Amino acid sequence: MSLRSLSSRARVALSFVVLAVLVLAVAAAVSDTIKQPDKLIILSTTDVKGKTSPCG
Amino acid sequence: MDSIKSSYGQVVLVDNGGFFPESDPQMDAAWFLMDAMKMLNTAAVGTSERELRWGLAYLKSIVNQKNLPMVSSNLLEASTRRPVFKPYVIEKAGRAKVGIFSLMSDKVDLGPARDSLKVEEPSAAARRSIDELKKKGATVIVLLSQLGKVESEDLAAAVPGIDAVICGHNVPLLQKGRMVKNTVTSYGGEQGQYVSQTTITLDAKGKMTTGENESFILGPEIPDKPEITKVVKDFEDALNEKLRKAEKERAAEVQQQVTQQTDHFLGADLCQRCHQGETAQWKTTSHSMAWQTLIDVKKDATPECIGCHVVGYKAPGGFQGSTDAPRLVNVQCENCHGMGTRHEDYSSKLKVTAQTCTNCHHGENDPEFNWDKKLPMVAHGNMSGETVQRKKIKPTNPAMMKGGSGGQ
Repeated sequence: MSLRSLSSRARVALSFVVLAVLVLAVAAAVSDTIKQPDKLIILSTTDVKGKTSPCG
Repeated sequence: MDSIKSSYGQVVLVDNGGFFPESDPQMDAAWFLMDAMKMLNTAAVGTSERELRWGLAYLKSIVNQKNLPMVSSNLLEASTRRPVFKPYVIEKAGRAKVGIFSLMSDKVDLGPARDSLKVEEPSAAARRSIDELKKKGATVIVLLSQLGKVESEDLAAAVPGIDAVICGHNVPLLQKGRMVKNTVTSYGGEQGQYVSQTTITLDAKGKMTTGENESFILGPEIPDKPEITKVVKDFEDALNEKLRKAEKERAAEVQQQVTQQTDHFLGADLCQRCHQGETAQWKTTSHSMAWQTLIDVKKDATPECIGCHVVGYKAPGGFQGSTDAPRLVNVQCENCHGMGTRHEDYSSKLKVTAQTCTNCHHGENDPEFNWDKKLPMVAHGNMSGETVQRKKIKPTNPAMMKGGSGGQ
């Protein structure tokens, strides 16, 4: 069973992957144009406690 | 994701701290997460006592080695009263200069380094950091707080000048943040289950006019990046193999200690001799396949996962290691009803309650768990198999369905 197919995946985010995708998305946006220069986004994680994915 | 990509360019990534793992054998996870944060260009990483669990020298050495931007405004060397890490960083993001500082509680145990460290009273450190950040031109100030929910909010209310607080240290998930006076707060839960997004509206000088916050999960509508997923999976598989060895050694020690205790787990093979109907029903539930789900993702040697997928992990008579498979794997009778040696108490003292289920289906593992709705799905009269269908579990071990070990 892949990570993708885990039912728990929908509710337990793999923050590392989330952030990676966000960074890539944001980088693409920056290289294009800053469409909303009056907005600043702070993306945060907290107390990750060594977790990199759900148990299963 | 698409909305962020199409709408914003000014994004700052931070981690609030508390990212070190629970147990010593999982030390590798700390290294992996630090690499990940560097790879993601994380602007600042907060500090908590959790990061000090293996001592200050160890932490400083890997922080330096990884060149990780750890910050703490109030963690000081006891002898010199100088900060252990940078007290803050300033990150340029479009028209904003974002000053980020971190605070930890002065009431926590600092572990092996407790004698050589001092934690300054948080509000004093906050006032000093805010003052310095403003003098250095910061237009937006963000606090990475390891003070817990209440103390973080109290500090935001008492100390002016903080635009956003990321609340951490046993803080429950709240999907929406709120304003505490002029500060927008974030409650992103823990264990990396959620990412919190604080959106700040800037004026022409790059200062905050309004702020809002929302924490969200990555749902199936967002595709994975295969190359990133592979990096994570490769690490986890290697860690699981390493943990398997540690688990074997621990199990051998426990087996020597646990001989004939008064009360102990028995395993479902014994139960099903009398409870055949209940056993047949149990085999239609995902509880009867819980172990396989760990094997599938190679977490069958990860201590923090095993407990909810076997009978009596580390307890007398319970699962100690892989040598106890298949007799004590899966969520069996005794997970819900208690130790078999206390059978006579089942009808009086050992009732199945919400607490029975939330030992595993708690906020971190199953944030949407509702006992009233979920209990009927596994009740012994329910032969629908709906828990298996909902989880889309493939019964890869047909023996489980045909009469393997266990019964509930």
